[in-house]
Amino acid sequence: MSKELVNAIADMREEDALRIVREMVESDSDPMTILDAAREAMAVVGQRYEEGTYFLPELMLAGEMLGQITEIVKPALAKAPEVTRYGKVVIGTVQGDIHDIGKNIVTFMLDVNGFAVLDLGVDVPPQKFVEAIRDFQPQVVGLSGFLTLAFDTMKETVDAIKEAGLRDGVKIMIGGGQVNEEIKAYTGADAYGRDAMAGVSLAKQWVGAK
Amino acid sequence: MTHIKLSDPRNAARTKVIACATVIEEMRPHLPPGMEVQVLDFGLHINPQELKRILQEAIDATAPQIDTILLGYGLCSMAVVGLQATHCTLVVPKVDDCIAIFLGSRTAYRQQAHREPGTYYLTKGWIEVGDSPFAEYDRLVEQYGEEKARWLMNQMLKNYTRLALINTGQYELERYREYSRCTAARFGLRYEEIPGSNALIRKMLYGPWDGDFVVVRPGEKITYQDFITNP
Repeated sequence: MSKELVNAIADMREEDALRIVREMVESDSDPMTILDAAREAMAVVGQRYEEGTYFLPELMLAGEMLGQITEIVKPALAKAPEVTRYGKVVIGTVQGDIHDIGKNIVTFMLDVNGFAVLDLGVDVPPQKFVEAIRDFQPQVVGLSGFLTLAFDTMKETVDAIKEAGLRDGVKIMIGGGQVNEEIKAYTGADAYGRDAMAGVSLAKQWVGAK
Repeated sequence: MTHIKLSDPRNAARTKVIACATVIEEMRPHLPPGMEVQVLDFGLHINPQELKRILQEAIDATAPQIDTILLGYGLCSMAVVGLQATHCTLVVPKVDDCIAIFLGSRTAYRQQAHREPGTYYLTKGWIEVGDSPFAEYDRLVEQYGEEKARWLMNQMLKNYTRLALINTGQYELERYREYSRCTAARFGLRYEEIPGSNALIRKMLYGPWDGDFVVVRPGEKITYQDFITNP
């Protein structure tokens, strides 16, 4: 059944996907099995996007389906033994950029992979990141931006974190658009991720989760 | 600073323009006679790797009598990073993308972006090629139905507040103004017309190639570093 769910999500059949999830919840399936299937489906969607068979609308539809699936699964998850959180992540689209489809997918993937995520939204000024790091005390900070304009504000944000004396306490990853090794070096971040799963892997690696 | 007189036909004949379909719209009225022009598909911008490949092919296919290639592009999602020419100098405006070219400078673009990051920019070229989320709406309706299409559009535009038509003064604007106004109203965006400038385009075509341009010698590669203007 979980294979069916993976296919339904990956093929953008929302009604089928939600029906399967409800059936699985009603038959007392492990909620984690459902979330694992959702994760697997998202990887397929990401792959099709990379290959050019899917575009932005499909990423958004998938994101929306995942949101609805989480809502359906939540009550069952609450009954399950307390989920251990690996760590905390502060994430946001940096100042001057308002693109958030990728960031929202990363936020979702971090959440279902066991992280507590504080999402600051879009067009987030450096100082807001600094305050969130002080209050929320994350191990990981995710700076997102789609435009090349955002590379400068990513750098300004890293600098602001440094100036606030908080740089040593956090690992910073950047993502969105065409980030690469050179942009990582320019912004002063610790790493970059080309897709949502890369972001999850980095965060897990940094907090020592398996 | 490099300054060769491109208005001189002997120099124009040794120079080639490779430009995106949207940018060429604004360049055409200023092109010196005798300059070779190659126009590339606008749709390439959504796939920077593919754009890079096609641009490199266009550069490699340049005739031997050409010694300078003017790229009517910006960083364009890093697509120009890594490009090189074996026997030509490459010149590209030091901007993020074509919006800065239409507005006349990188600074003008940054000021606009800072004031209102949620701006969707339109020009004649962008409207003509019809490759915007607004034009995509009909395709989405066909594929996913009216309700889903509307939801997708709302999602795509939810952080946008303004639709700005850049008035470059190049052409009769009425038709494009009408289209932009209607589009803005249809998708709940505030319509604004902002002044453009041909300053950067003229400087690209006639020089001087000062700090507003990345100038790369034959055999050298364009790097991201070349585009950094911050101290």
